[in-house]
Amino acid sequence: MEKVKVKICCGTSCFVMGAAQIQVLEFAPPADIADKIEIEEARCMNHCKDTTAKYNRGPFVMVNDELIEEANFEKVVNKIREILNQEK
Amino acid sequence: MSNSLFIDIGSYQKQKDGEDCFGDTIYSKKIPEERRVISILSDGLGSGVKANILSSMTTRMAMKFMEDNTDLLRSSEIMMDALPICQIRKISYATFSIVDSELEGKTRIFEMDNPRYIFIRNNKSLAIKGREFSSPKWKDRSISVSQMTTQPEDRIILMSDGVTQAGLGNKRYPLGWGRQGCIDFVLSELEKDPHISSQNLAQKIVEEALSKEIDKKAGDDISCVSIYFRTPRKLLVLTGPPFDEDKDKEIADMVAEYDGKIAICGGTTSNIIERELCLKCEVDKSSFDTEIPMASTMEGVDLVTEGILTLTDAYRMLKEGIDRKPNVASVRLVNLLLGSDRIDFVVGTKINVAHQDPSLPMELEIRRNIVKKIFRLLQSQYLKEISVRYL
Repeated sequence: MEKVKVKICCGTSCFVMGAAQIQVLEFAPPADIADKIEIEEARCMNHCKDTTAKYNRGPFVMVNDELIEEANFEKVVNKIREILNQEK
Repeated sequence: MSNSLFIDIGSYQKQKDGEDCFGDTIYSKKIPEERRVISILSDGLGSGVKANILSSMTTRMAMKFMEDNTDLLRSSEIMMDALPICQIRKISYATFSIVDSELEGKTRIFEMDNPRYIFIRNNKSLAIKGREFSSPKWKDRSISVSQMTTQPEDRIILMSDGVTQAGLGNKRYPLGWGRQGCIDFVLSELEKDPHISSQNLAQKIVEEALSKEIDKKAGDDISCVSIYFRTPRKLLVLTGPPFDEDKDKEIADMVAEYDGKIAICGGTTSNIIERELCLKCEVDKSSFDTEIPMASTMEGVDLVTEGILTLTDAYRMLKEGIDRKPNVASVRLVNLLLGSDRIDFVVGTKINVAHQDPSLPMELEIRRNIVKKIFRLLQSQYLKEISVRYL
């Protein structure tokens, strides 16, 4: 089974909005998904500038091809589980 | 600024035509704790493997003795005693030239039977009178010792007799290219490019010597060591995308051509450099920290970090001292700043709209301001030489 690709933006604004907490996924992932994910840290992916929303909707995380806005650890893990369940 | 020099050492060798290995050996070593650089060129008797062994043994032994500051006559005696004796010529033989430089400027040169070194200052070759010593045991061999106080832009060139005797027997150079021929060549090269690196100069000398040889075949091992005493280390700190996108190429060229260390602080900035120079930039996971975004690695660039947060933290640590792990991006930036003597800041002034959002939970500095704070601190407290350019 292909691993779920998780790309965490570590640009300045995503980082201050909480991307560092999502990076925990890399160093201490929940046991059930630990070997099913591939984490990549990205420098600014420019979503903070492209967004049409008035206020910043970071941190931004890409899970496979899906963009998660205002991401946090919970949201990302849930998304990964959702994708893994679909594939089953 | 301190009087400390930067010593750039380069060497180039060509083995005797038909031989697989070099008969001459070059060995250079920096001793950081003593702020010393030692460079040795040895020419072994004959050529090929035998000469290689003789000269390798000589350089290794000489390096040990130099490091330990052993008495020179005593150490030369030991070296000559230790070398195996040539069955044909019944002598143990390898010549050497040793340059022992302290970064504060004191340099001593020891030579035995190699062509005399060339010392260049202000585009002139200076002859320095050396003192001769010889050991009672080996009366026919003498060691010459010269001492000088080096200045920035001085150069010392060591060569094996393959350089001075290049072209020997050739109609144009019946007695070989000669030391004077080499000096003239070096001076003309320096006129063309006064800041040529040691490596390039050594290579040019060897190639020029080779071109004098009959059929361009080396009649002996040709080796050259070039030592260049330079003004101190430079660092380019590039941060922020340029206000005008047309300048992207300009900052990329700056990175490509810069003759010092390079730090890029800014995600978008590194994306620009990555794109323009077709370099691969990868996140370095060993630099993980919960407060500072991770650093990245990029070929030819010494440090790639996120921008404002890292710069702000570096400024704080420049004031208060380093209090994070050594691998964290901001610590590495501080160490780079402190390890350089001349720092060139290039600051892109494009405003990052995403940073102006009042809902961001942290105070984000405007790039120009934080850079201004950093370089003022570096100037006043750390006595660095700073230049700043806004783009």
